[in-house]
Amino acid sequence: MRVSLNLIKKYIDLPKNVDEKKIAYDLTLRTVEVENVENLGEKLHDIVVGKIVELKAHPNADKLRICKVDVGDKEIQIVCGGSNLYEDELVVVALPGAEVIWHGEGEPVKIKETKMRGEDSFGMICASSEVFLENFFPTSSETEIVDLKGIDCKPGDLISDIMDLNDTILEIDNKSLSNRPDLWGHYGIAREIATIFDIDLKPLEKYELDKNLPKYDVTIKDEDKCKRYFAAEIDGIEEKPSPMWMQSYLVKCGMRPINAIVDITNYVMITTGQPLHAFDKTHVLGEKIIVRNAKEGEKLLLLDDNTISLTSDDLVICNEKNPMCLAGIKGGKDDSILPDTTGILLEVANFDAGTIRKTDKRFVEKTDSANRYEKALDTQRVDDGINLALSLIKEIFPDSKIIKYNDVYPHETIRNEIEVSENWLTERLGKKIDSKVINRILTSLGYEVKLEKGTYKVLVPTYRSTGDVTMKDDVMGDIARILSFDSFEKSPITISFTSSIKQNDILLERRIKEYLAYRCGFYEIFTYPWIDEKYIDAAGIDKEKSITLATPPAPELKYLKSSLIPGMIEAISKNLRYYDSFKMFEYDEVYSKGKYSPSSEDEILPIQTKSLVASITGKDAKSIFYELKGVIEEMSRYTHMENIRLEQKEKPSWADINAYLNIIKGNEIIGSLGLLSTKVMSETKIKRTNVAIFELDASMLEPFASRTNKYKKLPELPLIEKDLSIIIDESVKWDDIYKAIKNLAYEVEFVDEYYGDKIPNGKKSLTLKVRFINEDVSMNAEQISEKMDEVLNTLNKKCGAELRQE
Amino acid sequence: MEESLKQVKEEGIEKIANTKDLEELEVVRKDLIGKKSKLSEVMQNMRNLSNDERKNVGILTTEIKNVFAEKLDEKAKELIDQKSVLDRPIDLSLPGKKVSEGALHPITQMKYDLNDAFLSLGFEVYSEDDISSEKYAFDNLNFAKDHPARQSMDTYWLEGTEDKEGAERLCLRPHLTGGSVRYLLKHGAPARFVYPGAVFRNETTDARHERAFYQYEALIVDKNISFSSGMVMIQTILEKVFGRKINTRMREGFFPFTEPGYEIDMECLVCGGKGCKVCNHNGWIEVMPGGVIHPNVLRSANLDPEEWTGFYINIGLDRLVMMRYGVDDVRLFHSADLRFLKEYK
Repeated sequence: MRVSLNLIKKYIDLPKNVDEKKIAYDLTLRTVEVENVENLGEKLHDIVVGKIVELKAHPNADKLRICKVDVGDKEIQIVCGGSNLYEDELVVVALPGAEVIWHGEGEPVKIKETKMRGEDSFGMICASSEVFLENFFPTSSETEIVDLKGIDCKPGDLISDIMDLNDTILEIDNKSLSNRPDLWGHYGIAREIATIFDIDLKPLEKYELDKNLPKYDVTIKDEDKCKRYFAAEIDGIEEKPSPMWMQSYLVKCGMRPINAIVDITNYVMITTGQPLHAFDKTHVLGEKIIVRNAKEGEKLLLLDDNTISLTSDDLVICNEKNPMCLAGIKGGKDDSILPDTTGILLEVANFDAGTIRKTDKRFVEKTDSANRYEKALDTQRVDDGINLALSLIKEIFPDSKIIKYNDVYPHETIRNEIEVSENWLTERLGKKIDSKVINRILTSLGYEVKLEKGTYKVLVPTYRSTGDVTMKDDVMGDIARILSFDSFEKSPITISFTSSIKQNDILLERRIKEYLAYRCGFYEIFTYPWIDEKYIDAAGIDKEKSITLATPPAPELKYLKSSLIPGMIEAISKNLRYYDSFKMFEYDEVYSKGKYSPSSEDEILPIQTKSLVASITGKDAKSIFYELKGVIEEMSRYTHMENIRLEQKEKPSWADINAYLNIIKGNEIIGSLGLLSTKVMSETKIKRTNVAIFELDASMLEPFASRTNKYKKLPELPLIEKDLSIIIDESVKWDDIYKAIKNLAYEVEFVDEYYGDKIPNGKKSLTLKVRFINEDVSMNAEQISEKMDEVLNTLNKKCGAELRQE
Repeated sequence: MEESLKQVKEEGIEKIANTKDLEELEVVRKDLIGKKSKLSEVMQNMRNLSNDERKNVGILTTEIKNVFAEKLDEKAKELIDQKSVLDRPIDLSLPGKKVSEGALHPITQMKYDLNDAFLSLGFEVYSEDDISSEKYAFDNLNFAKDHPARQSMDTYWLEGTEDKEGAERLCLRPHLTGGSVRYLLKHGAPARFVYPGAVFRNETTDARHERAFYQYEALIVDKNISFSSGMVMIQTILEKVFGRKINTRMREGFFPFTEPGYEIDMECLVCGGKGCKVCNHNGWIEVMPGGVIHPNVLRSANLDPEEWTGFYINIGLDRLVMMRYGVDDVRLFHSADLRFLKEYK
């Protein structure tokens, strides 16, 4: 919302030491967020009225003309491409030094003396969008310049003076106003400023209506939706422009002047916050207003030429026959003020916020009127609207006359009554505030306050009684914000040490992430909860159990992830553009159909568990497989949790037909490790590389309550370490070799597996380290060699191994 | 004899001095004081000399031997000091070997930094699941029945539940605050906990707007505490993140689940509060909303608002990380782009 400081000043006298910056800052701290302060007069410096005294063709350009322009103190030459130039035309001239928005786009540009196609030009004749006047002078073509015809001005006058633009505009963030229906007019903002600076607020304009006038026929069918409807038939009206000061306020507040009647309704709205509507009186057939719910399927042609089909939720204002307008939102095509208008029917009404909101949903953009009704206005504000509007109509149309009127008023906004005890206030605010101060603040905001036996009995103003202020906490909030939140001392947070915080599951998640990132060299990635269907399909994951979104970000992103594998595949395929080997992991929630009630029985949520996925991308399939296998094997030790192990049980859909293992805890499969299958890779454009990947159900992991490392007595005698290379059938598994000889040595360790020229077909070479220890005496060479023979013989007998000859 | 011994001595000292390395020094050592050295030879032949001569020569040879031994040791020390373990030249300009790569996501790093800080203030860490219901995301939090955030233009509702109501209408949580009631229902009061997590809004994305982003929320519920205690939590966060005291201001803000609510701005770090493009020329940057927990929210957590009070603060982790590092596009956080993530080791 744009707020004109000049309009505010009609209702308050600002203290001398308070400037626009201070107002903006204090309003921001205490009331609403002022996003920008703009001084329009300053922006329009060196922009003046000019009169074209002579117009010549440009010798070198068809579309340009050379103008001699009277700018008050002198005549200057300006080259201009405007399409609507004529001699004696009053135009807007930007003199050298002025700043304009070139062609209405981008940052301001400073005007300089220049030559255009060889002819001197000492300024610029401006189009409206170049000098912030597009709301005053809407244009139909890009080359149309501002024609000041009909505006009282002479050459040399500053545009900011003649258009009444020497004003400061506060731009207020509408979001910060959403809970304050009272602030949607200048008067409400003036009241806040008056309270903040402790100054008087002047009353709004009054108008005495002649109570003896005949009644206009008004019927309200649904009194919950329309709580008050005032209608006045006024004659002696014509379609003419409103006075410049009024047009100027509208423009400064971001609105477009239309004609005097429409401008008055808009001006009253930006001043009081009360929307108004004016019908051409001849359009109100039967001289009768009926406020009712629309019939299903009833049609209404809107001002913007769109015909809408109504439902019974919509509230419409009707004449004897038809709906004329969508109550509180938009006028109909047929009710507008036209050149032949001689009389109007003025509407000042109160409509229910929920009704307006429901109907307004169908439109992309909210009208100013709907925006205000949606916030829940008080019925008493209708009086402010009537008084100001009728005063202005009298002023602008001195010959106008009210013929009939009616004020149907079924429901009045009731002022809320709240009791707030002094003690409670002191406790919650953290300090005692003098009752005089509280009284002053609340009274200035419009409350009525009585302090009785330590309790404030407050009567909330009507304009804050439509939902905004309903309880003592709201009253406390008003006191605290006006004093400024910053004025309260920061009380320390005390800590009590009844027990330390121990959250093993939270700690385990962190240990796992840090293990993967800092020890194993993985990068943590984040992906969205939804996932492109094509990656789910490529991974062969069943979508039956997946949860779907009603309005997904894109049609293919409908599915929420039930596994982190598809997202990881997508991340891999994207990163392959820049890297050929990398390691990534993600620890996130996955969702699947099912029943889960974490907080109360009435709420049944889908199953949601934490999942962990990690992948290594690289050329050598075996090597990345074993590397990732190692990551899983070591994980429980390094992260201090119950053991997990690997065993081949069932193939996950995405894995290679041979290279996969299941991750098992106790007797349960909690995840899988494998190489990504050729099929998955070809469907997801992962080329010339391989991927090892594992996913496990992280909610199945169990942290140890404390470390469980064990002390092992150090051997007193040195270990004897021997390397052994054997040739063996390629089908023989390490597991078998290990089991065969593990009891014959202190330690048996796998070193290397090798296929090559020197190894016969169908065989492989294995290198292992064997360590012996003798607890009594040092072993001699003979004993060692005996032990090695025993190992080799056993391997030969059980696994068919031969010693590899070098 | 004495003359020739003198010559042996001089020649020997020169030889030691000219030695280039330790191996050569061993050869010299043998040569000068070994069994087959000239000195040994002289000493072996001493029995042929007269007593006087023998005495003189004896003293002289011992003296020379001692001098040699001393010089040899000196030289050995000198050579060891100069000896390199390398037998080839080393190019010191070659880069060192890369350590293992890998890093936590910058948002996770920020989250852990904050967890550590709050843990020291006695806060627990809590996490709620991503999928919640209208009851917990809106009803419990005092959102008006027709609040625009409840519409599908703002919130991601699950298919099949979008036309239901309350506990049966399910969504990806649009904010973390719903989790506060879950925690309080489970653990009761007093309570102090943080609950970081991802939240989801149906938005058009650009460099400053995301559909999925991270929040960090903290809540204290206790008796007899004033709203101004919230300021301590805010300062804790900012000092942790930026490593020094940051100027803040607290201003009016409105949220359905607070009364009063406030917005906390921090001084713009780019211009130091003077006003620049980053802070929209007003010197302050909005960092977090907060406020006193609304009585209706306490009621939905089965707590009596006459007895209990408390306050929230909620911080946008994405924004905070963006400020910490100067990241200019929020969408990078969910991009899984390693070119970006590799910067945050």
